[in-house]
Amino acid sequence: MHETRPAKITSPVVSLGNGYVRTIPVAAIVAAVGVVLAILFSGGLGARFMHAYLMNYAFLLSICLGCLFFVTIMHLTRAGWSVTLRRIAELYAMCVVPMALLFLPILVTVLSGSDVLYPWVDGGWSMGDSDDPAAVATAGFINSLPVAQRPPFEQLKYGFLNPGFFAGRWVVYFLIWGGMASFFLFTSLKQDKTGEGSLTHRMQAFAAPAMIVFAATLVFSSFDLEMSLEPFWFSTMYPVYFFAGAVLSAWATITLTALWFQRTGRVTDEITIEHYHDMGKMMFGFIVFWGYIAFSQFLLIWYANIPEETFWYNWRINYPGWKTLSYVLLIGHLFIPFLAMMGRTVRRSKNFLFGATIYLLVMHWLDHFWLVMPHYNHYVGGGIEGRGWDTFNPMADIACAVGMIAAFIAIFCVICRDRPLVALQDPRLGESLNHEVH
Amino acid sequence: MAENNNNNADSKLIGLLAQFDDPESLVAACNHAREAGYKKMDAYSPFPVHGIDPAIGIKRTILPLIVLAAALGAVVVGLGLQIYTNSSALDFLAPFPGYPFQISGKPVFSIPANIPVTFEIIVLTSAITTFLGMWILNRLPMFANPLHRISRFKRVTNDKFFLCLEAKDEKFNRAASETQLNKWGAVAIEEVRQDLTDNDLPKWIPTAAILGAIVLLLPPAAIFSQWGQTNRHPRLHVVPDMDWQHKFKTQTMAPNLANGLDEVDLMYADLRSARRPVDGAVAFGSLDIDSEMNFGIKQDFAHAISSRKSMRTLLVSATDDKTAESSSGDSPALAADATENIDQWVTTFPEGVEVNEKLLARGQQRFNIYCAACHGYAGQGNGLVNQKALALAANGDATWTAARSLHDADVKGDAKNPVGRIYDTITNGRGNMGPYRAQIPVEDRWAIVAYVRALQETGLKTPGVDAATDGEESAEKVDPDAKPKE
Amino acid sequence: MATTVDPQGLDNTYDDASQRTPLVLGGLDYQGVTETACGFWEAEKAPKIWWILLLMAMSLLGILGGLVNHLLMSGVGVWGNNNPAYWGWPIVNFVFWVGIGHAGTLISAILFLFRQNWRTSINRAAEAMTIFAVVCAGMFPGIHIGRVWVFYWLFPIPTEHLAMWPNFRSPLLWDVFAVSTYATVSLLFWYMGMVPDIATFRDRTKSRIGKFIYGLLSLGWTGSARNWHRYEIAYTLLAALATPLVLSVHTIVSFDFAVSQLPGWHTTIFPPYFVAGAIFSGFAMVVTLLVPARALFGLEKLITLRHLENMNKIIMATGLMVGTAYGIEFFIAWYSGVQVESYAFWNRAFGNYSWAYWIMISCNVVIPQLFWFKWCRTTTWFMVIVCIFVNIGMWFERFVITITSLCRDFLPSSWAYFTPTWVDIGMLVCSFGLFSTLFLLFCRFLPVIAMAEVKGIMPRDGHH
Repeated sequence: MHETRPAKITSPVVSLGNGYVRTIPVAAIVAAVGVVLAILFSGGLGARFMHAYLMNYAFLLSICLGCLFFVTIMHLTRAGWSVTLRRIAELYAMCVVPMALLFLPILVTVLSGSDVLYPWVDGGWSMGDSDDPAAVATAGFINSLPVAQRPPFEQLKYGFLNPGFFAGRWVVYFLIWGGMASFFLFTSLKQDKTGEGSLTHRMQAFAAPAMIVFAATLVFSSFDLEMSLEPFWFSTMYPVYFFAGAVLSAWATITLTALWFQRTGRVTDEITIEHYHDMGKMMFGFIVFWGYIAFSQFLLIWYANIPEETFWYNWRINYPGWKTLSYVLLIGHLFIPFLAMMGRTVRRSKNFLFGATIYLLVMHWLDHFWLVMPHYNHYVGGGIEGRGWDTFNPMADIACAVGMIAAFIAIFCVICRDRPLVALQDPRLGESLNHEVH
Repeated sequence: MAENNNNNADSKLIGLLAQFDDPESLVAACNHAREAGYKKMDAYSPFPVHGIDPAIGIKRTILPLIVLAAALGAVVVGLGLQIYTNSSALDFLAPFPGYPFQISGKPVFSIPANIPVTFEIIVLTSAITTFLGMWILNRLPMFANPLHRISRFKRVTNDKFFLCLEAKDEKFNRAASETQLNKWGAVAIEEVRQDLTDNDLPKWIPTAAILGAIVLLLPPAAIFSQWGQTNRHPRLHVVPDMDWQHKFKTQTMAPNLANGLDEVDLMYADLRSARRPVDGAVAFGSLDIDSEMNFGIKQDFAHAISSRKSMRTLLVSATDDKTAESSSGDSPALAADATENIDQWVTTFPEGVEVNEKLLARGQQRFNIYCAACHGYAGQGNGLVNQKALALAANGDATWTAARSLHDADVKGDAKNPVGRIYDTITNGRGNMGPYRAQIPVEDRWAIVAYVRALQETGLKTPGVDAATDGEESAEKVDPDAKPKE
Repeated sequence: MATTVDPQGLDNTYDDASQRTPLVLGGLDYQGVTETACGFWEAEKAPKIWWILLLMAMSLLGILGGLVNHLLMSGVGVWGNNNPAYWGWPIVNFVFWVGIGHAGTLISAILFLFRQNWRTSINRAAEAMTIFAVVCAGMFPGIHIGRVWVFYWLFPIPTEHLAMWPNFRSPLLWDVFAVSTYATVSLLFWYMGMVPDIATFRDRTKSRIGKFIYGLLSLGWTGSARNWHRYEIAYTLLAALATPLVLSVHTIVSFDFAVSQLPGWHTTIFPPYFVAGAIFSGFAMVVTLLVPARALFGLEKLITLRHLENMNKIIMATGLMVGTAYGIEFFIAWYSGVQVESYAFWNRAFGNYSWAYWIMISCNVVIPQLFWFKWCRTTTWFMVIVCIFVNIGMWFERFVITITSLCRDFLPSSWAYFTPTWVDIGMLVCSFGLFSTLFLLFCRFLPVIAMAEVKGIMPRDGHH
């Protein structure tokens, strides 16, 4: 029953070792092909491609940020059980540094004054231009104003949403995230060598203020990245929604990565079924949390029925295709995983978790697709017939996803390199190795 | 106490109870017992000891499945309750039929608004099922347990651990089992004996229970007997002065009569709560002798007002225009009613209305509040309400007469639409447009007239009203059968 | 048991990553835990201070009864509620008490699911506090409905007389369901957790009445392994049910406000923000009660400084969440570009209720930051002061939300100023009498410490 497991690392292979040498070239080729295909499907580097890029970027960034949250919260709560999983999260969090480079295309688009992505770049509203009564009615009352009477955007929000300030904010975000991620990773790596318990105290002390800064940056970056695509719309719940998806996908990514490592013969003894069970429980919890946040946001806007807010949902739930996608998210992102992950047995099955984590990541990808693409469909599609699914081809997004995820895997492998995949000398390692779900 | 039982001829041995001092020895003893082939045994501890379940062969309980079933049932019940009561007129629970009513513009059947209550019903049902299910599966409450007669056993809720081998077990042997228990480290061993004489309940308990049940049933029975009965007495009023307030409400009879009291508290013989005005009385501020200012009609034609007598008549005559118009074949805007004399309208603003920037600003503000919803901010006839209604009308979901563009040639200029007539349109409505005199004070109506004129003068270029030819185009866009709005 | 670093052996707030901090101090064994936890209950005579407190609490309760009677006989006009502030103090008090009633279930359910072992010493008292707070909370909407004697119209009970059903699309009805479900489930959870400990009382009590009552309440509990097995599963299930429930209750309370269109009320972050605020105030109340209780009942070895420190950290964290929500609200009010929305928030901070707003900010956001300092969060008298401030701040938060928005809605002609009457103030103060009476009686007659659970997490020889 209580066979006491060792408090030290016994497994021979604890780093990626040569694995990444084989992975990187393949991933790099797939990445290149994917992105090129995406450009071809989009017909160039215009608005279509940029939206596909933004959407996939938001998807990957949310995973990094979720992992950064994992590391911080585990230190903050002095968690012992999760020590063997924490290194994977630390490595993913570190990916936020190369992710800063991948942000450049978006930043360049904004700084060049092009409004293919964010309508606020040139200070315009770009609300639907159609004469169609239904389209105008849904696009908000602004359209019925003579142009001279429209609220000048510059006066309203330009102080916040302008290219210069936007760029400045993102520099700050990446400095903070990069700083946090490197502090946690390198301190933990240092502890691998020295085994000093004081380093744990240092990370714990650092985690508390870091969490505050992290929360603030997460709030504003979620406004900046996706909510400001539609500058007219606003929801105070938006950062929480972004956060819920990010954390769920981070937990899924960590679990999936652990399974991948173990299938390739790494960290086989350190991560046990008990850890998976706990991760499964927490994923279950965050599925419910995501549903709770998504439903609350919808209910409040639906119930109050204020046109400034409802048009955002109207685009997503009243147009063909998007309507289907909304139901897919409701059922696929909430109901199916909720029922599927309820049982104890399935949470303790590695095969089930392998499928479930991939499924959850696909759903999270669809979630970002749902957040970004109706915006493109409405602005650039033009006319009421352009606002449904029939004029929309998601191939560019899928190709872009394949490419960018491959690039992300390559980046992750480079960051892993020879680094140990578990925290070798964490003082709570023994507790984690002997972790048992009661 | 335990010793007493041992000597009792009427008692039956039901097991051997062994005491241990710490959880580890208990788990070890359980494991030994299982290995020795015992199947019927139970361990007792002050807190749940992990590792004991497999040791004495406890299978996982089916409680979670029961709760899941209850939760799924609660989904159906919760949603069904709300659908039946709020969004259906079903009456299979007669005499309590569903009562669908519209509220805050929500559909009678609106799932999002039904989620919270459904959720609470699910949780409530599941929690009660969990609670009751656990006790029932555990066969509790059971107050008559022979274990409670053993004084040593009292420490099971404090700091001692016990293993009980039951006499029903095939392997059980009074002497051999005791030896085994001693070998496994039992600190003390006692027999568990059931006192057979104790089995009967004291006689007074069933009697008391039956009497208690009868007493408890009396109030509901009394209520039920009155169910659906008529009663000549008024119902109980806890705070009478809240229910019977001595006040007059509009369009009611004298208060006490309305409340169904026997005593008639008549203030007026006709039972009205208020008096009608004396014939010829003019309400304060409603003298309206300045016909130009108040009606937009030249003083010379003031008799036209008295001939119409009241605003109500004006409105009726305006709607009567429909019949005249369909036969005349004129442009709809020009289809004046037979009694309308175009010359009667004032063509200049009356004295006391000074057209200046301030008035125009006021007019614009009022226009945007009252008129723009249908006519649009620029008066193009493309207000949001109009657009939405047209879209609905196109689907056959509503009937709607399109709002006119104020830039149409046939509603512009003194010849066809002098300021007095515009003022009259605002005051009394025209076509399907309703009167606004109740909402807009006289001065503001003139301000709007001024602003409408200003809009028409600037002739904002918009789709639909572009050049002279577009007049026809826009006329075509408007439903030809419809009465124009101005 | 780890050697302790201070002479009394009662400071376990030191941080040592290589081993888990002991949560039961003073070298207590199982018997010691039982003796300590039962000490106050077994005392022949309750200490004088308990009687004095009970007398004070019951006096307030008596006044509360008088006030409620006055209200029922005279009508809700005795309150300061006016047009447009139809929701005056009664609703503020309701939300305040419901919020406090969140910590108990949170400690019992969420911390249980997260296997935070330190919850075991404090969960019983916190659960009891939850139920008593919900009782206080339920009173206010109950008496706010005016005609209390037809309160059953709130529920979907078929009556021919009314020939109607409640409106299930109204958040106020959601509240009825949420609060009554919460009260029921909390009660079940509390009672179920108490059964093994009541069995301890049954086995230790000397009086015949005690034997009868505790025997009845403990349902014949024997501590059988088969019973424990189902009991533990049921406990986990109840925790798993109570967790979304506890979130839903304050979420639905927030819906009361947020589904409307009133500026300052309609904002989508309300649900998680209300929940964070509820946890915040609930924990503050737990600390406020437990610090004197542990001294009075001699529970320092079970409710250790570590427990209090952890709660203070949660108070600080949730305080920051609430502060973040204030910030997001303010930012979005500006960002939305909606004039009335911006004005609503400007008005809160600088309008005629700004005094309430700044009390709220200082008590909820500024003062809890003192808990960054270890001395502040481990000094008992000091943390009580901070927690009292937190509760004052959270009361004012509900006041600010309810009153400022109602008094400054879209229509300037309906703006007004709300002033409470003496009945309002009296009811708020005296509701503490109801709460304290229940809590003091609980401390004397029911197990304050979840003994079975504390014993379950004590380190055992040969294990860990």
